[in-house]
Amino acid sequence: MFGRKRHIIISLGVAALALLLFAAGFERKSTGTRRLVIVSVMTALCFAGRFIPFLKPISALTIISGMYLGGEAGFLVGALTAILSNFYFGQGPWTAFQMLAWGMIGLFAGILSEPLKRNRLLLLCYGFVAGIGYSFIMDIWTVLWYAEGFRLDLYIAALGTAIPYTVSYAVSNLLFLSLLAKPFGEKLSRIQIKYGI
Amino acid sequence: MRRFSEISPAAAALWYLSVMGISMFCNYPVLAAMTIAGGCMVFIMIAGKGHGREHLFFWLLFAVLAIANPLTSHNGRTVLFVMNNNPVTLEALLYGLNSAALIVGVLYLLRSFTMIMTADRLLYLTGFLSPKLSLTLSMALRFVPLFGRQWQKISDAQRAMGLYRDNNFLDDLKGRMRIFSILVTWALENGITTADSMEARGYGCGRRSQLRQYRTTLQDAVFMAADAVLTGVCVFAVCKNGFRFGFYPDTFVEKPGIKGICGIIAFGLLILMPLVTEGTVKLRWRYLQSRV
Repeated sequence: MFGRKRHIIISLGVAALALLLFAAGFERKSTGTRRLVIVSVMTALCFAGRFIPFLKPISALTIISGMYLGGEAGFLVGALTAILSNFYFGQGPWTAFQMLAWGMIGLFAGILSEPLKRNRLLLLCYGFVAGIGYSFIMDIWTVLWYAEGFRLDLYIAALGTAIPYTVSYAVSNLLFLSLLAKPFGEKLSRIQIKYGI
Repeated sequence: MRRFSEISPAAAALWYLSVMGISMFCNYPVLAAMTIAGGCMVFIMIAGKGHGREHLFFWLLFAVLAIANPLTSHNGRTVLFVMNNNPVTLEALLYGLNSAALIVGVLYLLRSFTMIMTADRLLYLTGFLSPKLSLTLSMALRFVPLFGRQWQKISDAQRAMGLYRDNNFLDDLKGRMRIFSILVTWALENGITTADSMEARGYGCGRRSQLRQYRTTLQDAVFMAADAVLTGVCVFAVCKNGFRFGFYPDTFVEKPGIKGICGIIAFGLLILMPLVTEGTVKLRWRYLQSRV
């Protein structure tokens, strides 16, 4: 049964399961209300940023959230922005993959927060890699949906057609990280010190 | 009786999930044809006439997807012609057509899903899953227009103080950056105030209730039950190997047996359910009008 489309079922199942597990963990933990609201403020800013043509600040803002508010907050900002903005850009099975991809970008930014804060060059490198990695992950999904199983030639073709987007992601990450990382960092640290989040 | 776009979010979500689940993972040509026909009809039913550009986009995508497979995959026995020393086969073309029909059909369904499942309806569903995440999402939704208004206020204030000029590109950019910076500071502070206010009013004590309540009526229950039964028949047909087909090396679709026919009929009825609901509502309305 469903043998031909096994790959897509498994990958979709794994993505959904990862998100559900994360949601369940978040639900059980007692997160401060202040923290919750700050996360939704960052999500709203990301969401508004997705309407800027060509340049997408979502990954950059997700990385900044992850760096200064911790990995969990970074994951939440990325994943929630994906589901929220897709109310306008169209929901679909890809929402799960986008949520996971952006969430991971935020989560790893949180884990690597110390070196990323200290080294600006490293931060820009991380943003560049995240932009390209996002495109690579989303194209796996494109291929899985179209073909039976994973086909390398189709994957390379999909990556080829996505080059403008990949470049735009990487460039926007570099641009927005170099512009926003410092001021946002200052503002978020200030809030953290002032209100003890 | 309510229209399809107004039935309870749970029933609508269940219908979309079962139709897309079956058609996406099944790959059977007959179901693919039904998916694209049904998806298109449901989209027109919900979106109304017009939307020519969206239809154009979907059918262009259909053409591109259908052609992409024979150009990249050279499996299959019947060679149509040779291009760049690579054979273009009939089987690969048929496979491409099948995949394209499935994908475009599901995209049609997703378009109408996005139209029906507005943010408040989807948040109602996620609220059962995780009240906290649902709250975070709905707050973010509310912040977007709030920030827009605040941006206008800050920009007015800056202009009144003579700090903002938009006749020079560089000054304009600098001004916008300053407004954005002020907005972010304000947004974070405002968030803290909101959080404190929420706590003062008892957020986190006891169970969270939903903002909007949707009553589950008899219609919803019947709809969901019919959905479950039809989906069950389809899944049974798939599991019991009711659909026998293959694309490579020779394309064949075996004449479906009794299980296959049951599965096809069930899927047909399933995909027609919104149209039936809509039709019944319209008939009823006519009937009520004629009695006045």
